[in-house]
Amino acid sequence: MAAKPSVKGLRSQNRARVNRADRRRRQRHLIVFVLSTLGLIGVALLHVWLRLQVVHMGYVLSTTSKLQNRLEQENRELKVELATLTSPDRLEAMSRKRLGLRPPEKGQVIVLP
Amino acid sequence: MRRSYRGDRLRLGVAKVLFLVLFVVVGGRAFQLQVLQGERLKRLAERQHLKEWIVLPKRGAVLDRTGEPLALSLEAQSVYARPHRIQDPAEVSRALGKILNLDVGEVKQKMTSEKPFVWIKRQIGPQEAERIQALSVEGIGMFYEPNRYYPQGQLAGQLIGFVSRDSEGLEGLELHYNDYIRGETGSSVIERDALGRRVLVQGVGGLQMPPGGDIHLTLDTSIQHLAEKELEATIGKYRAKAGVAIAVDPFTGEVLALANYPSFDPNNFAKQSAQQRRNRAVADSFEPGSTFKTILAAAALEEGVVGKEDLFYCEMGKYSYAGKVIHDTHPHAWLPFHKILQVSSNIGITKVAEKLKKERYFKYIEKFGFGQPTGVDVPGEVSGLLRKPESWSAIDLATHAFGQGIAATPMQMVMAYAAIANGGFLMRPHVVRRVVGPKGEVLVENQPHVVRRVISEKTARSLASMLKGVTNEGGTGVMASVEGFEVAGKTGTAQKADLTHGGYAAGKRVASFVGFVPADDPKLVVIVLVDEPEVNVYGGVVAAPVFRNIARGALRHLAVAPQKPELVPTPIGATEFPRRRATKKATEVVFDRGAEAVPDFVGLSLREAVEKARALRVKVKMHGNGYVIRQSPAPGGRWSEEEILVLNLQG
Repeated sequence: MAAKPSVKGLRSQNRARVNRADRRRRQRHLIVFVLSTLGLIGVALLHVWLRLQVVHMGYVLSTTSKLQNRLEQENRELKVELATLTSPDRLEAMSRKRLGLRPPEKGQVIVLP
Repeated sequence: MRRSYRGDRLRLGVAKVLFLVLFVVVGGRAFQLQVLQGERLKRLAERQHLKEWIVLPKRGAVLDRTGEPLALSLEAQSVYARPHRIQDPAEVSRALGKILNLDVGEVKQKMTSEKPFVWIKRQIGPQEAERIQALSVEGIGMFYEPNRYYPQGQLAGQLIGFVSRDSEGLEGLELHYNDYIRGETGSSVIERDALGRRVLVQGVGGLQMPPGGDIHLTLDTSIQHLAEKELEATIGKYRAKAGVAIAVDPFTGEVLALANYPSFDPNNFAKQSAQQRRNRAVADSFEPGSTFKTILAAAALEEGVVGKEDLFYCEMGKYSYAGKVIHDTHPHAWLPFHKILQVSSNIGITKVAEKLKKERYFKYIEKFGFGQPTGVDVPGEVSGLLRKPESWSAIDLATHAFGQGIAATPMQMVMAYAAIANGGFLMRPHVVRRVVGPKGEVLVENQPHVVRRVISEKTARSLASMLKGVTNEGGTGVMASVEGFEVAGKTGTAQKADLTHGGYAAGKRVASFVGFVPADDPKLVVIVLVDEPEVNVYGGVVAAPVFRNIARGALRHLAVAPQKPELVPTPIGATEFPRRRATKKATEVVFDRGAEAVPDFVGLSLREAVEKARALRVKVKMHGNGYVIRQSPAPGGRWSEEEILVLNLQG
């Protein structure tokens, strides 16, 4: 005949079961807490990273915008220079002095129909 | 164990209180910063990292009909000072004066000024700007400002106009189309870091304002240059005061060239006088003189009061009319109507006017657009002067017939002739084809606009054939003839009103020529007007050659094929290097004129021409009297073997 478990043994068995369940619950809470905290920290870090990216892009945009302005200005300056260099007055003076050209004489221009 | 548990609880309690106190302190501080001092601190922070960025207007360009730029905008830096922030004004003045090439005393005076802000120099060059940047002085700063450049200098200066330092149009097309080409200005708040650098966290949207539109002109830079060059040369040659030349497409009313003398360079507008800035083509009116006879002829033909071959007795040069005596330059007896125009007889045209009557004549003067602005898109246009026929005295019919007692602008005259050239339609002239916005959208478009029909096509053709006679042998405008083309036009030599004493000023004339070419299929109408020439005053001598040179160059540029077959083409280079003429005898020294260019005798009086030829030791053959209208060899050409100069005179 098997020995009957004593009341003391049963109590300790129950306590151990309760403790285990309690520990599991606490562990679950801890995990949830840790995960939530990590999540929050993650979100916070993401926000900071995004903010840093925005600032970084702001710098990049600012530099690019300056470059764009500078290139546009340079383009306009070159247009002014080109127009100045190709002005009819200058071209005529240069073609006369440097190349010895002169307006075409009678018959030297033939307009094709 | 129990004691230990209690100890833990105590420590926890203390920690709780500590944290609570800390939270209260932090919360309290946060409340103080965010709520109590929030607004003030926010303002302070914004002042540090936010900045208002002014977006300057980007003014559009002015381009000719081929896209050649005549006005462009650049950005240039301007230097300013905040005097109260400058530590050592003497030292800073010396440094700035040296870099900017300014008087140190003047700069120092500005530095010690009581004003919070003073300009040191505006719109400096990029190298100067770099050197000032390198100085990095507290209280000295730079600011970008738009700067307008006119790369072609004085080319069409009066027409294009100019802008103020703040990029606002002040005169010419810059003023007339200011609203379309100015561009929008604006401001945007941007963030900046601790070093003051821009951080465009909001993007660049706020920094981009729509630029102004580009003006595309009807003007052709090549024809404009030619007109200005020819006008200037003639004004120098005849020592004239001023001049105007306009070239117009008769069928569209497009202005191809509008030249004024004295010239005006809009790059230095502040240094030039109001007289130079004046666009005489629309702002000044002149008594047109004989060029106005064409208007009467048009009216008379249209009304059918005369025919081309009708004869008029020209009283041998003197005609008493309404208590006054009308003179002709050369006496004539009987002249057909078309010859009256050809020789420009005042008496003959007066007799035509008598047949037409003043009311009918006035109706045509108005129909041709005189007495009212042409509507050209240029500011400052005047109406001229035209009195109602009710106020005309008896002599006024005659004076109006030969273009006195009435004032017209060169633009009105050229458009009236354009109406004859195009078959009878008065067109509205325009200098701007279109204004194109930044996205390519057309903001303004000027299409050819017919104001009204003035005369029938038959009358216009008949008149054109009569005007051809003016530039043919025996006409007053032979010097306007262009090789290979038939030219229809009319000379004018008008007296000038004496504004001080009344009547006409002695010796002051306005020489003019207005005509179109090719006469039967006109591509160009050109007016040339020379104000107060001294050496010679006749329109046929002073203005007609300018017309010829402008028309010849412009027709070549527009690739208009000659109507008459031209001479056999001369191989290029055949005349480039004049060879020395071989001498008959090896020992005989012959003065070789072969390499010398033939001087210009055109416009000289008979006596001046003889003296000049004598000085050159050349034989001269003369035909006619008065002033030299043609010479052979042509000016700039080579002497013939015989070294004979043939001069044709008229006047």
